[in-house]
Amino acid sequence: MSAAAPSAQLTAYAPRVRARRSISVGFMVIALLAITVSILMLGALIVEIAVDGAARLFTDGGAVSVEARDGSIVSDLPTPEGMGWLRWVLPIAILLPFVGPRLVHSIMADVPRITERVMGLAVVAPVAVFLHILYVRFESAYFIEYAKAVDIDGATGNIFPLFGEASGFQIVRLVIMGIGLPLALLLMGWFWSHRMRKPSLLIPAILIGAWIVYLFMDPWFLSSYPSRSPSGAGIFSAVTGTFYMMTITAAIAFPLGVGAAVYLEEYARRNWFSRMIQVNISNLAGVPSIIYGLLGLQVFVRVLEFERSVLAGACTMALLVMPIIIVSAQEALRTVPPSMREAAYAVGATRWQVVRHHVLPYAFGGMLTGNILAMSRAIGETAPLIAIGALTFIAFLADSPTDDFTVMPIQIYNWVARPQAGFHEIAASAIIVLMVILLLMNAAAIIMRQRTRTDW
Amino acid sequence: MARNFFTVMRSSAPSSTAARPSTSSTATAPPPPNMKEAAAAGVGVHLDPSLEAVRHDLTEDIEMALELRDVSVFYGTFQAVDKISLPIPKNRVTALIGPSGCGKSTLLRCLNRMNDLIPGARVEGDIRFENRNLIDPTVDAVEVRRRIGMVFQKPNPFPKSIYENVAFGARINGYSGDMDRLVEDALRRAALWDEVKDELDKSGLALSGGQQQRLCIARAIAVQPEIILMDEPASALDPVATLKIEDLMRELAEHYTIVVVTHNMQQAGRVSDYTAFLLAGEERVGRLVEFGPTQEIFTNPLDQRTEDYITGRYG
Repeated sequence: MSAAAPSAQLTAYAPRVRARRSISVGFMVIALLAITVSILMLGALIVEIAVDGAARLFTDGGAVSVEARDGSIVSDLPTPEGMGWLRWVLPIAILLPFVGPRLVHSIMADVPRITERVMGLAVVAPVAVFLHILYVRFESAYFIEYAKAVDIDGATGNIFPLFGEASGFQIVRLVIMGIGLPLALLLMGWFWSHRMRKPSLLIPAILIGAWIVYLFMDPWFLSSYPSRSPSGAGIFSAVTGTFYMMTITAAIAFPLGVGAAVYLEEYARRNWFSRMIQVNISNLAGVPSIIYGLLGLQVFVRVLEFERSVLAGACTMALLVMPIIIVSAQEALRTVPPSMREAAYAVGATRWQVVRHHVLPYAFGGMLTGNILAMSRAIGETAPLIAIGALTFIAFLADSPTDDFTVMPIQIYNWVARPQAGFHEIAASAIIVLMVILLLMNAAAIIMRQRTRTDW
Repeated sequence: MARNFFTVMRSSAPSSTAARPSTSSTATAPPPPNMKEAAAAGVGVHLDPSLEAVRHDLTEDIEMALELRDVSVFYGTFQAVDKISLPIPKNRVTALIGPSGCGKSTLLRCLNRMNDLIPGARVEGDIRFENRNLIDPTVDAVEVRRRIGMVFQKPNPFPKSIYENVAFGARINGYSGDMDRLVEDALRRAALWDEVKDELDKSGLALSGGQQQRLCIARAIAVQPEIILMDEPASALDPVATLKIEDLMRELAEHYTIVVVTHNMQQAGRVSDYTAFLLAGEERVGRLVEFGPTQEIFTNPLDQRTEDYITGRYG
């Protein structure tokens, strides 16, 4: 290779470097403009909310309650027809900004990195904010019109009282709509232009997926109780029952399971007894769930007299998922290298201090992941709950752990078993909801595993 | 007292041709094993367990930090170390050298009861530490490990901040003084302070290998031990980092007793005051062959096998 060659290359490259820089300046100007616009729009949104009152954000596509002039609440108005077009248009409009940065990138192949990032944000941010404003304006305007149309004398803008029925659900929706969506769009644009780290893309993708599902679906379905007619039936009690039971299940199974795993991995001597326990845990993981149901029926429902309550269901489920939690927690503990334990012992730590300060914290992410996966198994279980006699028609929310309850799989099972085609349809809807919840949980597990991984 | 313990065993004048001095317990000396031939043939050397190890005179009158008497280690039914008797002089660096699998690390891990953590491991004999037998089950292993620290072969900082790495030992041992000063002091002594003083919040894992090892040394120092055991502390490091660790060991020897296991003959020669040479026969049971001041072991070994090993002809 001659000495002239490198310098020739350098001169060949020089103009391109300059050209790239000028593109970059152009992009920066556009990007700054776009960001300024989006900040202004965001400001406008905030002002609008402040002026019009937060109540507008609580407007709902289906469950309409309207406050009449005399102060009484007129609720459960029928869902109007023909106004749902925006629900179809919006998801398509949302997809555009994600294609945008990619398009820009493919056209300008050598965009410098910083510009690329800024562009991603600049394209996505204003669109996200604009869509959001559009949606909020649409809904609030629509409902004021609607309230007039159904002839409620003196209807006010306060269509959904903040502390009325099912307001918890409304708040969740507010979070998804008001914060989650713009945030998701922003994040997605950022990550997308950020060399596409796949796991990071999950969070915004999930939020947007949830939002799209929500748009396609009659929100009334989520916020209604079971009914005799398919058009009026919803899964509110099933969803809340599921979350209620899962919370208690996790509260029981996680500490016990982790405790058992810590004992087996860190304390127990390797002898026939610990081996026997280990083999039995593996066996228990393979026992059919209906057997756990029968056990729960006898022990929790009858002997301990929990009745057919959330608590009995949660205890049964806790037994069911315990082996999974123990095994996954053991796996997590084994990933902590022995050298960490030795290091801690070598400075005079007791066994408990080693576990408390080192082994548990380092393994905790893995344990949580295992716990979530165990929960996502429990959430789909039907048989043990049917065995202990969970109900299928619950037109109220459980107030305490000793109340009757139902869960989503049971509700689905019940609807599928009915002869009317309408129930089969809402069963399909409920299955989609259950699937979304499951996907969310599994995605959370994957993200958590990625985040808490330590390279030793 | 200390001098009585290792009475000089040698009875004949040392010479380079003498395989080993005859002892009173054996009427006739066994034929000297021919190391070169044995090594060339690829067969292990048979060590006669009835033979005593060779011990040199100590060149100084010195207090002992530890005294090992007939220490044997078993892993289940396998015997790893057989009846090693060895003094560890105080505030000196003692090197344990020998080929792989001769039980150096095993022996080292006995000194702060780390072998307790291995299921099936069993230690016999007497390790005197302040007139108590360390091996005695009534002795609190946690207290032993606090007073006899350890640095491992592979740097193993906790996945926490540099500060927390150093402070951990002191914290769990109920240290109530000024933690910031303790951390700074430990890091200074480990010759790491100047490199990390501005980023004490950084993860210990973010440091380079040599820095990590010095962090581990700082962590060991922070609990104010009397003895520091080092298990091939520089074997995973590059020559520059190795040199730093060796300098550090020389400095630390002013305040601490250091026992270091090393494969590296030059390293043993550079850093240690005393050297013990261990060797395992074909039955893979480690035995002490020779112990004495490093200077003498390296220039005037009494045992043919020691000479073969340190001149690189064997092992």
